[in-house]
Amino acid sequence: MSAIATTKPNIIERFFARHRGPLLVSPAILVLVAMNIFPLFWSFGLSFYKYRANRQAEPVFVWFDNYIKILSDPVVWSRFQTTAIFVAVSVLLQLIVGFLLAVLFEKQFPGRRVLLMLVLTPMMLSFVAVGAFFRYYYEPTFGLLSQAIKAITGEPFIVLQSPIGAIGAIIFADVWMWSPFVMLLVLAGLVSVPKHLYEAAEIDRVSWWRRFRTITFPYIRGLLLLAVLFRTIETFKLFDAVFLITEGGPGTSTETIAVYVYRVAFQYFRTSESAALGYILLFVVVVLTNLYLFFVQRRAKET
Amino acid sequence: MATLHLEGLVKRYGQISALNGVDLEVGDGEFFALLGPSAAGKTTTLRAIAGLEKLDAGRIYLDGEDITEVPVRRRNMAMVFQSFALYPHLSTYNNLAYPLREAGLSRREIAKRVQEAAELLRIKHTLKRKPASLSGGEQQRLAIGRAIIRQPRLFLLDEPLTNLDAKLRHAMRAEFKRLHRELGATMIFATPDQLEALSMGQRIAILRDGQIVQTGTADELYLGPCDEFVAQLVGDPPMNLVAGTLRRDARGARLELPFAAIDTAALHNRLESFQPGTEFLLGIRPHDLRLAGDDRRGLMFNAKIRLAEPQGDITILDLEANGAALRLVVAEIEGAKRNPGETIGLAFEPARTRLFMKESGLALG
Repeated sequence: MSAIATTKPNIIERFFARHRGPLLVSPAILVLVAMNIFPLFWSFGLSFYKYRANRQAEPVFVWFDNYIKILSDPVVWSRFQTTAIFVAVSVLLQLIVGFLLAVLFEKQFPGRRVLLMLVLTPMMLSFVAVGAFFRYYYEPTFGLLSQAIKAITGEPFIVLQSPIGAIGAIIFADVWMWSPFVMLLVLAGLVSVPKHLYEAAEIDRVSWWRRFRTITFPYIRGLLLLAVLFRTIETFKLFDAVFLITEGGPGTSTETIAVYVYRVAFQYFRTSESAALGYILLFVVVVLTNLYLFFVQRRAKET
Repeated sequence: MATLHLEGLVKRYGQISALNGVDLEVGDGEFFALLGPSAAGKTTTLRAIAGLEKLDAGRIYLDGEDITEVPVRRRNMAMVFQSFALYPHLSTYNNLAYPLREAGLSRREIAKRVQEAAELLRIKHTLKRKPASLSGGEQQRLAIGRAIIRQPRLFLLDEPLTNLDAKLRHAMRAEFKRLHRELGATMIFATPDQLEALSMGQRIAILRDGQIVQTGTADELYLGPCDEFVAQLVGDPPMNLVAGTLRRDARGARLELPFAAIDTAALHNRLESFQPGTEFLLGIRPHDLRLAGDDRRGLMFNAKIRLAEPQGDITILDLEANGAALRLVVAEIEGAKRNPGETIGLAFEPARTRLFMKESGLALG
């Protein structure tokens, strides 16, 4: 029987033989469709309906009502503002700190390897671990920060009490975690500068600042732009640090747009509205990405 | 304008020593060549003069002033790197203007100087372009332009012609001589090419394993190489070296070569003080060997042609005379008549030869 089967394969065996490649990737594609692509389209459709996941009512098609409602909602705009503050301050600080670290690690010094490893660690930790760590770090009664300040002033220090303090605390955590990422990119640029250019500049007797501007910077410009884009997109979606450290408080002063989407979807159960807001966020990120690609291509044309 | 004096420069990279005590004296306004094979220490010497290398020992004096510890930027020297080291993100104009940027010159003064330099080096048409879009020759002239734009005390040129093609190299040799004449500056250049060194350098120092072997003019080096190494390095094709032994018996004192014996009298008795049996190398320039004529002048012998290398107007013949390899330069018209395998008669003047000790390689007299 088996001899016959091998010499003359039946229709199923022939099908498997002919389509082996597609068949092998199909489970992965199925999972991707089920978990990712289908929800993506489903939520897009959902954003045009009036629907709440915790009600029995049938979804009603309402055209762009959700989008209009969201974009005319002052709360959404104030969340966008909060997010903008986080993006602007945090990304800028990450760039500065990351850049300075890169300048430091470009030089050779004893213990460089060990120190570099330590500096890179935050980036590789889990968001939740970092969030939890900082939550305890800022804790008023036994937190390290509060204890340290208490030792000097005698008063416990509740950094998360004021809006400014809370924003600063979250930004500090974010900068701590992501500056190493910027550093890696900048460092890659710095070490790619040919040594003889620095020697020529030394012989040409130019100042440190001019040398940096005209020789070093062109080599890190592209990577710096990449760092800005990555960090802007990531910070724009900032959720974990906020949710774990302040949960948006005090009041709503640290509630970023990503946290707000979560609340709309899973606390207020305005499901279709949250889907619409999600798509607005996606749109912003796509615009940012294309802006970056535009700059990159223009640069490629220049050189 | 400056005189330079190097005293016992030593530079080590771990176990390897790049400079082993370099002593050198370069006169004011001199066009000075450092000649040597790769890794002889030419580049390291230039870099040490510029201040880019920290020395392990030795002093550097510029116009009598000890500048060994003076930082690069205060030495006021210009250097043309072998790789040119042009600033890739700056235009030709900005590359040229770069050394002037911190000199406190007005914009107009800078523009004027850049125009002058660009004109002198014939790269005016490239002012707006970036180095990557320039041809090899233009890049090279830009590198020189960046060196001459301010008046440095000393020019250092590290193999300035090595990265150019043969034709351009020839043109640039003349260009360099013209530049040196017009600027009247002290220039030191390194080259592995003896032709470049001889044709451009007013004086030449020969480097080997981080030490200066011999210093002199082109003629001095060509006619009086101090040892076998210099003899082989200077001149193209290199000097023929034939091993010979000193014999002294009833027939008189003579140097026995594989293909002939030379009376020591013909060698101006340079061998008088040596014991019989001492081994020497007899150096004969390929140009001093000639086809034996009817005049029967000089010392004559026979050799077999192994190979003919036509070079256009001349032909180099590779010969074998009783086991000794020789090279001979003849006019193309002569070379065309000869075939490999053929035996020819040769002659040379013993008085025009140079003798080296076989053991040490050092020249006699």
